[in-house]
Amino acid sequence: MQFDDKVPIYYQIKQYVYQQIITGKWQPGTQLPAVRQLAVELTVNVNTVQRALRELIAAQILISKRGKGNFVTTDQTTLATLADQLVQDRLGAVYDDLRALNLTDQQIITAMQTYIEKRGRQDEHDFND
Amino acid sequence: MSTILTIKNLKYRRNQHVLLHDAQLTLTSGKIVGLLGENGAGKTTLMRLITGLAQGQGVIDVAGATSPVARKRQVSFSDALNGFMASAKVQKIVQFYQLVYPDFNRQRYAQLADFLGLRADAKLNTLSKGTREKLVIALTLSRQVALYLLDEPFSGIDSMSRKKIINSIIKWLPTDATLVISDHYVAEIAPILDEIVVVKDQTIAVHVATETIRDQEHQDIQDYYEQLYEGGEQHDA
Repeated sequence: MQFDDKVPIYYQIKQYVYQQIITGKWQPGTQLPAVRQLAVELTVNVNTVQRALRELIAAQILISKRGKGNFVTTDQTTLATLADQLVQDRLGAVYDDLRALNLTDQQIITAMQTYIEKRGRQDEHDFND
Repeated sequence: MSTILTIKNLKYRRNQHVLLHDAQLTLTSGKIVGLLGENGAGKTTLMRLITGLAQGQGVIDVAGATSPVARKRQVSFSDALNGFMASAKVQKIVQFYQLVYPDFNRQRYAQLADFLGLRADAKLNTLSKGTREKLVIALTLSRQVALYLLDEPFSGIDSMSRKKIINSIIKWLPTDATLVISDHYVAEIAPILDEIVVVKDQTIAVHVATETIRDQEHQDIQDYYEQLYEGGEQHDA
């Protein structure tokens, strides 16, 4: 995995874990790889992985079982909140960017609709190729 | 978290030249620390002083050991293997390490050699630069000590060997030990570093956590490091 060295690595590891969970690569109840194994897979420091996991455990997205390791939560409400949070974060970033270009809310909605329709046609076209 | 290395008021002179002065540093256990500085800044000198291969003025304490003899038992310093005959076989070098270092862990070496693809019957002069460096890393990490010092392990090494070496460090560095790794180019190892120490103007100029640089300065480590050199003297006033 390639990290952006301007952004704290522990933060990017958290994003990586969210990604694994939301895309279903790590199903609810899945046991995570050992800390050192995760560090090797991501080519990062063990301490940084530990910090990221500690925060995910505090947020109850991961459940730490003594002597057994860390597991993805099976609590559907927590997972739904997480999924929603990730969508909100990304929408927030796009919204801020477009507002910074002096677009009105209505212009943003129109631009977004046009973009999605155009993108949908493109993807369909690519798919048929 | 205990203190692994304490340096107080370290001064080192050679041929009337001051190479290091007023150097202060404290490193705690369980860290990977990048030792940075331009070529000739004194990174290797500092490592030699810590190990006890060079003698300066001031205090150097490694896990409670202060005399050079006692420190050598607590420090594993990467050796360029120039003391061995070119035709020496890898297994002979490993045997020598076992003989001179009672803390050398044969089992650890076997695991590291397997992971890094080192062959026991290969001769030193037939190893590529990358493989030779892998051997140095395997030998250095196979000792069981408080402090590991790797002197520019990545200079002139291809990216595949580098990745393999970095992974071997993550896998085999003992949890309580601290590893110092010197380099003049930090970008490629930045994700594995807890802290950086910069040697500049004949002293230890900077000691900072990498996540602090990213979190507070919003900079990547390489940019932060390079900026220490921009404007040069005016920062020293």
